[in-house]
Amino acid sequence: MSKRFEAYPYVWRLPLLIWQGLFFVGPLILMVAMSFWLVRNYRMEPDFVLKNWDRMLGRDYFWNAYWVTLWRATLAGVLASLIAFPASYALAFRVSETTRRWAIFFLIVPFFTSYLVRVYAWQVLLAESGPINAVLGFGGLGPFTMLNSGFGAMVGYMTLVLPLVVILQTFSLAAIDRNLIEAAWNLGASPRETLFQVILPAARIGLILGATFAFILSFGDFVSPFYLGGSKPPTLSILIIDTTKSGQQWPRAAVVAIMMIATLFVAAFAAVGAAYGRRK
Amino acid sequence: MTRSTFTLSRRRLLAGAAGAALTTPMINRAWAADPVQINMLAWYGHAEPDIVAEFEAANNVKFVPKYYAGGDNMLGLIAQSPPGTYDLILSDAEFVQQLNMAGYIEEMDPSLYPFDDFWPEYQKFPGHWTDDQLWSVMVRFGLLGVSYNSDVMTREEAMSYNAFWNPKITGKLGHFDWHLPSLGQISLLNGNRDPSPFDISEDAWEAVMEKTLSLKPQVGGYFDYGGTFASLKNGEMLAMAGIGDWITGVLQKDGAPVASVIPEEGGIQWTESYSIGKGTTKHEIINKFINYMLSPEGQVKSIKMAAYPGLSPLKSGWKAIQEADPAEAKRSGLIEGDDQSPIKLLSEGRLFFRDIPRQQDLEDWNDFWSEYKTA
Amino acid sequence: MRPSDIAFRLYLVALFTFVFLPILTSMVFSLNSDRFPTVPLGEVTTHWYETAFSRPEVWTAFGNSLIVAVCAAALSTTLGFVTAYTDFRYGFRFKPAYLALALLPPTIPLVIMGLAMLAWLGRLGISGTLPGIIVAHTVMGAPFAMAICRLRLSQMDPALEAAAWNLGASQWRAMRAVVIPFCLPALISAYCLTAAVSFDEFIVAWFVSGLNKTVPVMILEILQGNVDPQINAIGTVVFLTSMALVIIAQLLILRKTNA
Repeated sequence: MSKRFEAYPYVWRLPLLIWQGLFFVGPLILMVAMSFWLVRNYRMEPDFVLKNWDRMLGRDYFWNAYWVTLWRATLAGVLASLIAFPASYALAFRVSETTRRWAIFFLIVPFFTSYLVRVYAWQVLLAESGPINAVLGFGGLGPFTMLNSGFGAMVGYMTLVLPLVVILQTFSLAAIDRNLIEAAWNLGASPRETLFQVILPAARIGLILGATFAFILSFGDFVSPFYLGGSKPPTLSILIIDTTKSGQQWPRAAVVAIMMIATLFVAAFAAVGAAYGRRK
Repeated sequence: MTRSTFTLSRRRLLAGAAGAALTTPMINRAWAADPVQINMLAWYGHAEPDIVAEFEAANNVKFVPKYYAGGDNMLGLIAQSPPGTYDLILSDAEFVQQLNMAGYIEEMDPSLYPFDDFWPEYQKFPGHWTDDQLWSVMVRFGLLGVSYNSDVMTREEAMSYNAFWNPKITGKLGHFDWHLPSLGQISLLNGNRDPSPFDISEDAWEAVMEKTLSLKPQVGGYFDYGGTFASLKNGEMLAMAGIGDWITGVLQKDGAPVASVIPEEGGIQWTESYSIGKGTTKHEIINKFINYMLSPEGQVKSIKMAAYPGLSPLKSGWKAIQEADPAEAKRSGLIEGDDQSPIKLLSEGRLFFRDIPRQQDLEDWNDFWSEYKTA
Repeated sequence: MRPSDIAFRLYLVALFTFVFLPILTSMVFSLNSDRFPTVPLGEVTTHWYETAFSRPEVWTAFGNSLIVAVCAAALSTTLGFVTAYTDFRYGFRFKPAYLALALLPPTIPLVIMGLAMLAWLGRLGISGTLPGIIVAHTVMGAPFAMAICRLRLSQMDPALEAAAWNLGASQWRAMRAVVIPFCLPALISAYCLTAAVSFDEFIVAWFVSGLNKTVPVMILEILQGNVDPQINAIGTVVFLTSMALVIIAQLLILRKTNA
C-alpha cells in the first residue's frame, strides 16, 4: 500500500470515536465534574468543592446501600449461574439441535417484553393474596410474604438476567469438543470428575461472562429492588433517584454514580481476567 | 369528540411513521401543532381526561402533563427544563415560596379569581401572598392521618398515631416515600402542635428522629404513589403512614376494606395550588382554566378526581357536591357542621398545614429520611 | 430415555415456566375486568385496550417510540458495522482502548446513563426532545450492533475482500460488492435488535424525554401513578409489536441464508 494519506480507514474508524466521544465520554466526564459542583436554591453552580464527596461517603446510609447492593448483585450472579447451569447443560448435551434452537429462540423472547410489565406481573403473582400463595394454600402452606423483601427483589433480578445467563452458558457448553468429553469417559472419569475437570474448565469463558452480566445488570437495576423489594433497604440506584429528587442534589447523585461505575469496572476487569487469563 | 381525536391521531401516527422511514428525527415537530398545547407540571392525574377532557374540547386546547411525586421532585424537574417549558404548575402549597424565590412563577392578578367564595380560612393561604402580591391560587386540599385496613384494625385503634406501633401490623406498615408527611405525623405524636409540627426546635427534632427510628421494625416498605395503592389494595400493607383519604378514598370505591381517620393528635393538611409558569405566553387560556377548576363544575370534578379525591376550599364547591353527590359530600365531610368537616377540624386546632421544616434545613429532613430507610 | 433425561426435561420446563409466567400473567390480566388484579379473576373484557388506545397520548407515545426506535436502530447499526469492520480489518495503536470505548456502554447502569445524559443533553439543548432520546439509545444500542456484525465478519474469509481488490475493485467497490452483501443478514438482525432495545428502554428515556414520552415511559408513569391494567394492555401490544419485528428479521435471515 502506498504511503500517501488514505481516507478509507478513517471513514470506518472515526464515526465511533466522534459519536461515543461526544455522547458517551462527554456525559460521563460532565458527571465527574458535576460531583464537585455546588447546589444553591435548587440550582447547580459550577465550582470545585469536595463537599459532596465528603457528605455522601461520610454517611452511613450510603455505605449501607453500597454493601446491600454489592451483596445482592453478587448473590444474583451466583444464583443465576447455579439455576441456569442444569438447564444450559441439558440444552447443550441432552436435547436435539432443533430443540436447542427453539429453546434459544424462546429465551430471546423475554427481551422483547417490557421488563416493567413483567415486574408488575410479579407484583400480582407474589402478593400475599396472589395466585402463588393461593396454590400453596391448597397444600396447606403459607401464606408467605414474598413482596417487599430481598426475596422479591431477587425474583426480579432473576427475571432480568436468567434468560441471558442460560443463553451464554448454553453457547459455551455446546461449543465444547465432544471428543474431549468422550475421552474423559474412556479414561474412566466419573461423571463428577468429567464435569469438574473437563466441562467446567472448557466452558469457563461463558460461565464467567454469564455470572458477570448477571452481576452488572442486578447491580444497576432499580426496578426490582423498588417495585418488588419495597425499597427495603434502598439500593444504590434507588439512592441515586432519591437524591436527584430531593432538592436537586445532582452532584451527590453523581458521587454515588461514580462509586458504582468504579465498582463495576473493578468487577468487569476481574471477570475478564478470570475468563481470559492464564489457561491450563 | 374522543372519536375524532382518535382517528386524527392515528392518521398522524401513520404520517409520523412514514416520516420516520426517511429517518428525519425532526419530523415530529410538524405534527405537534394544531390545538394550543398547555404544558402542565402536576401530581399524577391532574391532566387526565376525567378532569380536562371537557375543557379541552370546549377550548381547542391540549394538556400535556409531566407528572411528579413530591415537591422536591417538582423543583428538580423545573430546574432541569429550559425556562418557559411549563405553562401551568400545580404545586404543593408549601413549595410555592420556593418556586417564587427561584423565580419560576409569575405574579397573578387577584381580581381574576373568586376569592370571596373561598372559606375565610383559605382566603390568604400562607406562602401564596407576599403582602398583596398573589403568586398561587389554592384549588384543592385533603387530610392526612392514619390509613388502615379495617379488617385488621378498628377505627378506635387507629385514632392515635401510636397505631403505627401496633403489634398487629408488624412488618406491614407502609410509608409513602416522602419525608414531610410521615415525619410531620410523628412530630404531632410527639406533641409538637404549637405553632406547627413543622416548626420545631433542635431538641424536638432530635426527639422526632429517635421516635421515628423506633418505628423501623414495623415497616414493610416505602412506596411511590402507585405502590401505595397496590400494596394497600392487595393486603401487602395493613396500615400506611403519611397518607389519607386521597389514597384510601379511591380504594374504598373499589371495594377494598381500607379507611383513613384524623387521629386525636391531629391531622396534616395537604394543599394543591396553581401557579403560572414564568415565560409562558398563554396567560388568557390558563386563567380561564384556573377559573374553570374553581367553578362549581370544576370543583365537583376535583372532589371526585379519578386519580385521587381532594376537598374543596370554596363555599360554592361544597354546595355543588352536596347537590351532585350527597353521599360523597357526607363521606368527605363537606357539609357545614359535620364532625369530619375540615373547617371544623381547623377551628378545633386539630388540623395543621403541611409545611417545610422551619427551623431545620429541608436537606436535614431529607438526609434523615434516607438514613431511616437504610437503617 | 434415561431417567436423568426426564429430570433435565422437567428442570427445563420449570425454568421456562419461571421465565414465561410473568409474560402470560400480564396478558391474562390485560383481559381481566378488575381494576386491581387479584384472584379469582373477574370477567373477560377488552375494556383496558379500549381505554388505553382511545387516548391520543398513547398513540402519540407509540408514534414517538416508533420514530425513536427506527432512527436509533439505523444509527446504532451503522455505527456498529463501521466499528466491527475496523476491528476486523485494522490493527493500530490504542486498539484495546478503542474497543473498550465501543463495548463499555452496556456496563454503565441505566440510571447513571440517564443522569449523565440529561445533564449533558441539557447543555447541548436537546434534552426533552426526540433527537435527545435517539442519541441516548444509539449510544446504548451501538455495542450490540457491533457485536452482531463482528460475529458475522469473523465468518468471512479475509481473502474474499483481497480477491476483489486483485480483480481491480477499489476498496469502496469491494466494500459495496463483497463485504456489505455478506453482512446483510447481520445488519438486518442488528437493526431489529437495536430497534427492540430502544423500543423497550425506559430509564434513560424517562430522564431524557421531558414531555415527549415514549411507550415504556408511559408504562412507568402509570406504574408510578394510577396503577391500572392499561399497563398490561399496552405491554401486550408492545410485546406483539416487538415479536413481529423479530420474526420478520428471522424470516429475512433464513431466506438470505437459504438462498
